[in-house]
Amino acid sequence: MSIVPKETIEVIAQSIGITNLLPEAALMLAPDVEYRVREIMQEAIKCMRHSKRTTLTASDVDGALNLRNVEPIYGFASGGPFRFRKAIGHRDLFYTDDREVDFKDVIEAPLPKAPLDTEIVCHWLAIEGVQPAIPENAPLEVIRAPAENKIHEQKDGPLIDIRLPVKHVLSRELQLYFQKIAELTMSKSNPALFKEALVSLASDSGLHPLVPYFTNFIADEVSRGLNDFLLLFNLMHIVRSLLRNPHIHIEPYLHQLMPSVVTCLVSRKLGNRFADNHWELRDFTANLVALICKRYGTVYTTLQSRLTKTLVNALLDPKKALTQHYGAIQGLAALGHNVVRLLILSNLEPYLRLLEPELVAEKQKNQMKSYEAWRVYGALLRAAGLCIHDRLKIFPPLPSPLPSFIHKGKGKIIKTEPHKRKLSVDSSENRSPQKRLITTDGLQSQDHTSPAPMQVDNPIENDNPPQNSVHPSSSEQASDASESESRKTKGKEAGKGRAITMKAILKQIWKDDLDSGRLLVKLHELYGERILPFIPSTEMSVFL
Amino acid sequence: MEGEQLNGIQLNEFLIGYLKKRGFNSAAKGLEEDLHHNKGSDNNVSSFTSIDYHNDPELTKLIRSFSQSEDDPTRYRECYSKLRSWAYNSLDLYKHELLRVMYPVFIHCYMDLVGKGHTQEARVFFNSFRKDHEMIHLRDLQKLEGVLAPSHLEEMEFARSLRKSKVNIKICQYSYDLLLQYLHRTESTLMLGIINEHINFQVYSGQPTSASDDIEAVTIVGSFQDTANHINQKEIQWGLLEDSLEDRLEKTGGLLSDSEKGQGESKDGDADDSKKRSTEIGKQGSSIKKLKKDKAGNATAKVARLETSTVPPAPRVKSELALPVMSTDVEQSILEDLRNRVQLSSVAMPSVSFYTFVNSHNGLNCASISHDGSLVSGGFSDSSIKIWDMAKIGQAGALQGENDTNDPNVGPTGRRSYTLLLGHSGPVYSANFSPPGDFVLSSSADTTIRLWSTKLNSNLVCYKGHNYPVWDVQFSPFGHYFASCSHDRTARIWTMDQIQPLRIMAGHLSDVDCVQWHPNCNYIATGSSDKTVRLWDVQTGECVRIFIGHRSMVLSLAMSPDGRYMASGDEDGTIMMWDLSTARCITPLMGHNSCVWSLSYSGEGSLLASGSADCTVKLWDVTSSTKLTKAEEKNGNSNRLRSLRTFPTKSTPVQALRFSRRNLLFAAGAISKPAS
Repeated sequence: MSIVPKETIEVIAQSIGITNLLPEAALMLAPDVEYRVREIMQEAIKCMRHSKRTTLTASDVDGALNLRNVEPIYGFASGGPFRFRKAIGHRDLFYTDDREVDFKDVIEAPLPKAPLDTEIVCHWLAIEGVQPAIPENAPLEVIRAPAENKIHEQKDGPLIDIRLPVKHVLSRELQLYFQKIAELTMSKSNPALFKEALVSLASDSGLHPLVPYFTNFIADEVSRGLNDFLLLFNLMHIVRSLLRNPHIHIEPYLHQLMPSVVTCLVSRKLGNRFADNHWELRDFTANLVALICKRYGTVYTTLQSRLTKTLVNALLDPKKALTQHYGAIQGLAALGHNVVRLLILSNLEPYLRLLEPELVAEKQKNQMKSYEAWRVYGALLRAAGLCIHDRLKIFPPLPSPLPSFIHKGKGKIIKTEPHKRKLSVDSSENRSPQKRLITTDGLQSQDHTSPAPMQVDNPIENDNPPQNSVHPSSSEQASDASESESRKTKGKEAGKGRAITMKAILKQIWKDDLDSGRLLVKLHELYGERILPFIPSTEMSVFL
Repeated sequence: MEGEQLNGIQLNEFLIGYLKKRGFNSAAKGLEEDLHHNKGSDNNVSSFTSIDYHNDPELTKLIRSFSQSEDDPTRYRECYSKLRSWAYNSLDLYKHELLRVMYPVFIHCYMDLVGKGHTQEARVFFNSFRKDHEMIHLRDLQKLEGVLAPSHLEEMEFARSLRKSKVNIKICQYSYDLLLQYLHRTESTLMLGIINEHINFQVYSGQPTSASDDIEAVTIVGSFQDTANHINQKEIQWGLLEDSLEDRLEKTGGLLSDSEKGQGESKDGDADDSKKRSTEIGKQGSSIKKLKKDKAGNATAKVARLETSTVPPAPRVKSELALPVMSTDVEQSILEDLRNRVQLSSVAMPSVSFYTFVNSHNGLNCASISHDGSLVSGGFSDSSIKIWDMAKIGQAGALQGENDTNDPNVGPTGRRSYTLLLGHSGPVYSANFSPPGDFVLSSSADTTIRLWSTKLNSNLVCYKGHNYPVWDVQFSPFGHYFASCSHDRTARIWTMDQIQPLRIMAGHLSDVDCVQWHPNCNYIATGSSDKTVRLWDVQTGECVRIFIGHRSMVLSLAMSPDGRYMASGDEDGTIMMWDLSTARCITPLMGHNSCVWSLSYSGEGSLLASGSADCTVKLWDVTSSTKLTKAEEKNGNSNRLRSLRTFPTKSTPVQALRFSRRNLLFAAGAISKPAS
């Protein structure tokens, strides 16, 4: 009934020498004891308030006892508030740490220092309403959200709320973790360990407090380390891991992260050594960009449009380096076929015209440049191919194509093969550089076992073979180029012949989507047969 | 039937007892008288009337059921929880009115149970429904929680006043009907009894009021509310004193600027201002002069001054006290200060000078700053008072040494930066400077008030009168008189030259915690632990206003310089602005989250500064606070807008605040090391 159990009363009675206390008496006393205790506390709180304190001390209780004409309890006065300790095993049982003191120790101890005397220090808390930043004042970094302030000011004149910055406390463990990761990223010496770190970054929960530090770190290092290819690659790996981590809420930091990522995609120079495979980095980053867009595009509607704008600008600026063009193409390609159709394919023809001089070995003496040009060409091809591939996949399964047509097509291809060589010389067209190339090259080894990038289905591997084949010597590169060129013309010849009939057929079959049909045709015009591997077999059959 | 065996007299007695228990005292008395009368005159009649009860078996049954349930403590719980669930399920529009009824019913159920000795059941009952009322009535509940025996009910002031008085509840007609219908339908006479006995419904027609605007619902003051309403009808003269220094300034200010105009030079911006003001006076004066010939200068000056605040000028009243004569030196210096006052507003913020007590070892109980900010006093729990002269501290060390040699209080160890005043024999709770700064009054737990001279650095008088610790003492705005308040629930008015109090103001139901003079010296305001603020007439000693609305003990008070408003701060951090003439709260200012130790109005009354245990000084816009109320009646509360600035200190609770006459804000507090 009372919060004071009767056992307590009995114990107290025993302690003052009353041994024969009746349990009924104890029961009667308990509520009264509780009431008296509450009464004393009520008065003690008053004393505390009038001493302008918010912590109750023993002297307040003494004061309350004095008020009630009760002898105060001596020996408990203390300078500061009591420190309570929790009793182990009990949730709400506390005790004060009251150690036994040996008199000898007290007597032998040196005299304590005299306490410092009370003094007054004067300072300006505010000068005309503004708090000066002096050590006497509370550290106050006024963060004012400009937009919010404006609203305030419009509403009610000069009333401005000062918001205290949120203090961000990072545990020691997290600090160490961050240091370690940063070290690993910078040192690049231990790839195995770094891999482990990436896994940890991608999976560990509780890393969220570090995200602002990581974004900062990445931004700093990317801007500083554009010459350090491996560092950049490592950083992009970190970005990917952070994106992958399901426990991290990275959205608020995207705006800080995106510039660094886009830099790694379309920067003119990434790494300073010839051996640095910056293509790979660009491809990797392109995928990263696509991942970000896919995941956060719905939340930030402007994200993708801003990104594509940047990339298209990079692509269409002829002054930009080919490496930048490559990055832009890869980035756009990763964003999906719609982007490619709208932004790349619409600009494809003029761009290819621009690219052509670079592709020709004679015109472009700089090996590096011409290699880059071919990379760009490959990327474009791939983008277009993937686009058309995806596009065609959308359509419902076709009604069984006409078998006669297939035969016809096959026959034609076979036919055109030998035919082509004859025509190749006088294949006038409007592409004079190609023609020249073919004529001068002469070799035309048709059975040349080319790695033929377009025949590989895997789009990522798609880019690698040419590189391998090109690298060894310039002659091979030339031959490769010539070969592919020859094919192109070949395809064009054939394509041209077929285009008219094709169009008709396509129109018949996909009346509702003339667009893609036209697109296909156009691509075929531009790329020739190279585009063919991207077309799924069923459609291919129709196409041909 | 058993009922038939009850004889008439028994039944009548029983009925009387029942009626009494249910609170129908007058009805019971009437019945009793009736019976006596009948007994005397005709026995047959009584038997005849009793037959009525006998022949009505249903009534008998009902009565019997009452008698059975009478001593059953669990019935309280049942009935209350039924009423509670009914109230919670009632129509939304009327719900808050009905819920308001629940709290008095709850506490009276509890006290009934305690009063009958069912301690166990009372505790269970209390704990099971405590949560419902915790939000608004936490502190009352904490008090009541300790009441466990019938004797406690008698002993505890709060409980006794609750038992004795009725609670006023405003309720709309429909809610009232709903409640009565419910009580009759469910035959819950237990609840009906409690409601009849302890609640006084003020039924009004029309729609129920919105839930938020009834502050009176917060505190249960019982019949006290009636007296409060009655008292608050009294007339008060809140205006400023005629021929005050402010008035004189406006007159002389005009003259001065005229002469300055003649010289064709102005020293500073303030002079410019006064010049402008004087020209304005000239312009407007011409129109008004026709109306008021005598006080033309006075009135026009006021118009000019108050133009910005668009408040009608404060009326002038005569002083009821014989005020001390001010020496011309002091008067001149005050006039000089007033002339150089910086005009403050929501766009022109004051500078704040902060005095931090270091090494106070948790012993600083109070701090005070003189009107010019040059002297700072601290009252300590070791009974000492220390006074610092800030002007001397600012000077060079050599000079300080000189001073030290003159100082009789300097110990053998040497330099002390302060003057030590010893004399009290208990913690010092207040130390207050006289307006010119030549005297200090201190109050202590030793029940005495002492007067000290800052010139002689010694004790002059010891005033004994209070029986318990004196919590606060304040000089009147003109000195000479002072007011004190104490744990003995009284406030007293004294003069410096008599050791007996002139007036004793009694009426608060608990400790009087703080006291403040009205600027015209005719009234004092007191804040108390009974959560009210009262205004007392100094001349008659009567209570003229009761301000109800705080939810916890009132710790600080401040009066606006024009005498129209009062601000009070409480233990929870709420500050309330009151209109003295209507005794209504203009607006509660929320923002502090701990005790508001100190409040101060700026010189022209446009800003209110508050210092709190949450280590901040806040500035509040008074003009908008008073202006907004009209617009606010229509739309929602926009409390946040009125807080102008918050100045956090470095873990120093702000114990004292004072606007100097020139509108520089001084603040003081002891730095508290965070608990390690």
